[in-house]
Amino acid sequence: MNNYHFGRGWARLAPYLLLLPGFLFYLVIMLGPAIATGFYSFTDASGIQGAKVNWIVLENYREFLFMGQASRDNYAALVRTLIFCFFVTTIQFSLGLLLALLVNQRLRGVNIFRTIFFMPVILGAVIQGLIWSLFLYPLGGPLATILGLFGIRSEFLGGQPAEAMAWVIFVQIWANLGITMMIFIAGLQTIPGDLYESARIDGATGWQAFRNVTWPLLTPSVNTNLLLNIIGSLQAWQLFLVLIGYRNGTQVLGYLIFAQGFGQTSGSVTSAFRQGYAAAASIVLFFLVLVIGLPVQYFLQQRERRILG
Amino acid sequence: MSTLTTGETASPPTRRAAARRIAWARIGAYVLLSLFAIVYVGPLMMLVITSLKSMPEFMKSATALPTSLRFENFVEAWEKANFLRYLTNTLIYTVSATAIYVVTAVFVAFPISRGYVRGAGWLLTLYIIALFLPVALIPQFQLMLNLGLYNNPVGYVMLFLVNPIGIVILVNYIKTLPLELDEAAAMDGCGYLRFVTSIVFPLIQPAIATIAVLHAIGIWNELILPTIYLTNKDYYPITRGMIVFQGVYGSNWPTLAAAVLIMTLPMLVLFLVLQRYIVSGLTAGAVKG
Repeated sequence: MNNYHFGRGWARLAPYLLLLPGFLFYLVIMLGPAIATGFYSFTDASGIQGAKVNWIVLENYREFLFMGQASRDNYAALVRTLIFCFFVTTIQFSLGLLLALLVNQRLRGVNIFRTIFFMPVILGAVIQGLIWSLFLYPLGGPLATILGLFGIRSEFLGGQPAEAMAWVIFVQIWANLGITMMIFIAGLQTIPGDLYESARIDGATGWQAFRNVTWPLLTPSVNTNLLLNIIGSLQAWQLFLVLIGYRNGTQVLGYLIFAQGFGQTSGSVTSAFRQGYAAAASIVLFFLVLVIGLPVQYFLQQRERRILG
Repeated sequence: MSTLTTGETASPPTRRAAARRIAWARIGAYVLLSLFAIVYVGPLMMLVITSLKSMPEFMKSATALPTSLRFENFVEAWEKANFLRYLTNTLIYTVSATAIYVVTAVFVAFPISRGYVRGAGWLLTLYIIALFLPVALIPQFQLMLNLGLYNNPVGYVMLFLVNPIGIVILVNYIKTLPLELDEAAAMDGCGYLRFVTSIVFPLIQPAIATIAVLHAIGIWNELILPTIYLTNKDYYPITRGMIVFQGVYGSNWPTLAAAVLIMTLPMLVLFLVLQRYIVSGLTAGAVKG
């Protein structure tokens, strides 16, 4: 604390005062509400202004987890969230690494490819969704035409829930692959070139060089990507909204929270503004993030310490 | 190149085989990259083609090239949707929220990075754990409702004054500024506020550009928050307006495609211009953290 050079006494308060607005925004808009979600999950808050809010303790959780059809729908949504997370994370991680390796070579025109793969990140969920709705147009759209050549007919996003979800997974990966690729490229560029040089002199094959040089030294970006992909895909649902809307058999937890809290049909129950219930669902999702995220984070840190010392 | 320099030990035929292998690897890389590129550019091409067609043409064959270049769809989309209004709204939200965010963020990140406030480490941790926090939609909504900021543009902008990742990026970047700078400035009688505004700000411009662009993209593309908070059509940003337009013209793909292109082009141009900052920021924050 003695390294502060800009005066003593009252002048010492300057950094605190100037930090205050930004930190207050964080407390009031993000951290506070995030913590308050826990409290709201014990109430029957409705989101209607002036309505009385009652303390109902664990009633929301009881209903969410143990009450007939509604809870069965919730479990289905939870499983779907996990499936979505698994496929998005594994595929996006592997393809992102592959693209980064391809694009990081000294080849003509790789910058153009980089730009192309990163482009959807800028466009946002609405445009991403609309672009693919058009491409997957079932009545003679491009993909329908191509598949038609092989005698395959598909409703794509309007088809069976499992198929619709597979397409959302596809678009989600398409949309965010660029971020994963860029983080890997940054990692690759920190690896000194002479390591490859000496590996080659030692007679290492391409695969051996990857296995023994690239992969271990890529650990920081591997960690970042895995964690971002897992947590991001557990919470993602915007593309479900744009691509298929709230349809039976396709909801994930994030969408369920929105639908319950702000009034839409959920599973077999239609509800309006059940914010206490939605808060309970948010806490369930939060635990899911912790239960998966923290062990992964711990494992990755252990691995990093082992490899990079 | 290294195959040539170490080639003294290798006999000519193996050297040639190695060269051939590299050529094949190169071709393979291009083929793979092109396949991926098709998946990325194809849907955009389809969008352009569709936007230039008439509805009957589209019904007859969705994939055929347009017979003539019609720009009526763009005029129609522009007139039918209130795009000028939506775009103006989005621009106002994005610029004002980003400006306030960036200024306040620097005043948070600088003392944390330098340890000029007590508990700087804890503060930084608070920003890092934001990644794990539960979805705050519900209490946030209750808060805005009770403050009378529901369906209010000012309230809407307030939702975007926070972005923890930006703070982490700034903290990391400020660490690269030498401490002697602070000492020298203080010696010359420069105060804290003046030091941050006239010396730190210009020196961390690349990091500021990065967090500003990342934050602005997020606001520009936000769909959920306007759906929750804005009911008055006059306040709609372009994303919400687009969804409403889709609701009305959803089956008229040529007009819808033209509308999507109108919304896409500014973003694409901006991206090509600012690409550098977006990429460097994403990676700077990620690889160190």
